[in-house]
Amino acid sequence: MSYRIAQYLFIIIVLLTLNFFLPRMMPGDPISYLVGDPGADAPLLMTEEMRQNLLRYYELDRPLGEQFQRYLSNLLRGELGWSISQNAPVAQVILGRLRWSLLLGGCAAAIYVPLGIVLGAVAAWHSTTPAGPAILGSVFFLGSWPSYFLGMLFIVFLSLKLGLFPIGGATSTLSARSGVLWSLVDVIHHGALPCATLVLGNLPGIVLLVHNSTMGLLGHDFVRAAKAKGLRQRRVLIKHVLPNAMLPLVTMIAMRLGFLVAGSVTVEVVFAYPGMGALITTAGIARDYPLLQGIFLIIMLLIVGFNLLADLLYTRLDPRVRATL
Amino acid sequence: MNVRPVTISAAHRTGIHTGVSRVSLAGLIVMSTFGLLALLAPFLAPTAPNTLSAPLQPPGSAHRLGTDDIGRDVLTQLLYGARTSLFIAALSTLLSSLLGLLVGLIAGVFDRLGFVLLRVADIFLAIPRFPLIILMAAFLRPGLPTLVLFFVIFGWPRAARMVRAQVLSERHRAYIGAAKALGASHTRIIVRHLLPGTLPILTVFAVMEVQHVILAESGLSFLGLGDPTIRSWGLLLSNAFRFPTTFITDQWVWWALPPGLCITLVILALTAISFALLDNAAFVS
Repeated sequence: MSYRIAQYLFIIIVLLTLNFFLPRMMPGDPISYLVGDPGADAPLLMTEEMRQNLLRYYELDRPLGEQFQRYLSNLLRGELGWSISQNAPVAQVILGRLRWSLLLGGCAAAIYVPLGIVLGAVAAWHSTTPAGPAILGSVFFLGSWPSYFLGMLFIVFLSLKLGLFPIGGATSTLSARSGVLWSLVDVIHHGALPCATLVLGNLPGIVLLVHNSTMGLLGHDFVRAAKAKGLRQRRVLIKHVLPNAMLPLVTMIAMRLGFLVAGSVTVEVVFAYPGMGALITTAGIARDYPLLQGIFLIIMLLIVGFNLLADLLYTRLDPRVRATL
Repeated sequence: MNVRPVTISAAHRTGIHTGVSRVSLAGLIVMSTFGLLALLAPFLAPTAPNTLSAPLQPPGSAHRLGTDDIGRDVLTQLLYGARTSLFIAALSTLLSSLLGLLVGLIAGVFDRLGFVLLRVADIFLAIPRFPLIILMAAFLRPGLPTLVLFFVIFGWPRAARMVRAQVLSERHRAYIGAAKALGASHTRIIVRHLLPGTLPILTVFAVMEVQHVILAESGLSFLGLGDPTIRSWGLLLSNAFRFPTTFITDQWVWWALPPGLCITLVILALTAISFALLDNAAFVS
C-alpha cells in the first residue's frame, strides 16, 4: 500500500512540475497578449520600460528556479495566485465556477449510476432473450454520440425548434419573477439538457461493467440455490447477485467522481454553462497563466485523489486484493 | 486496465452472436468506406481545399453541401476532414500499438526489467489524458506532429499492459516449454510463439485507441484549442457552431450536421467492430 501512496505522490510532483513549466514553454507572454503583438492591427503603445515594470510587478522577470520555488511555497499556503484576465484571486474565480460544475456533474452522476446499475443487471439477466442485447445496443448507440454533437442536436431540436428548454447558461438573467422555488425551477430547467447529455455519455461504461460482473456471477451455485428456493427474479438480482457485482463498480464510481469536472468540459462549452469547462477556454484564449494553472491543478487533484480513494476502497472491500499489492 | 474473461456460452447458444457479427460487419463496411473516401479525397472533392466562392450558399448543383462563412465548399472540407481525422488516429494508434507491443513483450518475458517498465507505464496511466491535452493545447497550440506525439506518449502504456498480461498467461503453457526443450532461442520464442498470441488483444486496443484519438482530437478542435490550419471534422463543426446565424437559419443542416454525423458514424462503427472482437476473443476489458 505504501507503494501506491508513493506512486501517487510522485504523480502529483510530476503534475505540479508540468503545471509550472508548460505555460512558460509557450510562445508569447501574458503582457504581450494584454497589449497585442507589435504586428497586430491596433497594438497598444507600450514602452520597453512599462513592459519591464509589468513583468516585474507580476514577478515574471525572476529566474525560473526562483519562480518555481515561490509557486510551490504559495501552493502550500493555499494561494493559487492572481488571475491576470479576471483581475481577481484565482481561488475565488475557480470556486465561483466550481459550484456549477459540481452541481451539473453531481446531478448527472446521481442519475447515471443507479440507472446504469439497473440497466446492466437487467441486460445480464435477460442475456438469452432479445431484451438484453437490445438494452446494451441502445445504451451503446446513444453513448457513442460525441457529447458536443449530441448537445448541439438537443439545442437545435428541443430548445430552438420546440422551445422546451433555454438554449444555454445556468440561470435566467432577465426575469421578473423571484423567490427560492422559482430559482430552483430555473436552475433545473437550465441544467436538464446538459445533464441529460452527460448521463447518456456516461451510461455505457457503467452498464457494461455491471452487465459483465453480473454475467460472471449468474452461473454460480449460490444464484442457482436462490432460484431453486423459488425466489422471484427481482429478489435474486437485488439480494444475491448485485451485492457481489458491486465490488468493481465501487472503484469505477470513485474514479468517475474524479472526472466530474474534467468530463463535462465540452458539454459546458456547448451549453454555455458557467462552470470550469467554459473557464478553461476563456483562460486559454486570454493566456491567463495563473488561472489556467489553478484550473488544471484542481482538476488533476480531483482525479488523482479519487483514483487513490478508488484504490484504497478496493483493498478495503476485497481482502483478496490486499495480498497482491 | 483489468482484463477478465466473461462467459459467453449463453450468447453462443442463442443466435445473438450472429447479430453481433452482422452489426460488426456493418461497422467494418462503414470504416472502409470512410477510409476509401479519405484516400480518394483529392479526386472526389468538387473544389481544391481552400477555393473560395460566395459565402453561406445553400446546397446546390455547384456545392452539394453549400459553403461556409468564408465561402469554402463544405463537402470538400468534409472529405479532407476525413483525411486528417483518420490519419491522425491511424498514425498515433499504429505508433502506440508498436511501442506498446515492444514494451509489453519485453515486460512479459524479462521479469526484472518488466517490473521497472510497468511502473513507468503505471505513472503514465495515472495521469488523466484529456485534461492534460486541453492544458497542453491551451498553452502550446500544438501542430499535427506534437498532437500525434502526445497521443502516442499517453497511448502506449495501455497497449503494453494488455500485451504483457497476454504474454504472462501464455509464457508457462506447454508449447512454450516444448519450444524451449527443442532449443529455440529467446528471440525465436518471442517472435514465433508469443507475438502472434498478443495480436487479438492488440487489435482490441487499436480499435479503442482510434476511437479515443478521434474523439479527443475533434473535442479539442471543437473547444477552439486545436490548430486552425489542421482541417478536421472537429474544426468544421466548431466553425459552424460558433457562427452566429448557424442555428437560427437552416445553415446547420448542411454545415454543422454532416461533420457531426461523420464523427458519430465512425465512433459507432468502431464500437460495433470492438463488440465482435470482444465476442471472439471472449475478453472484455
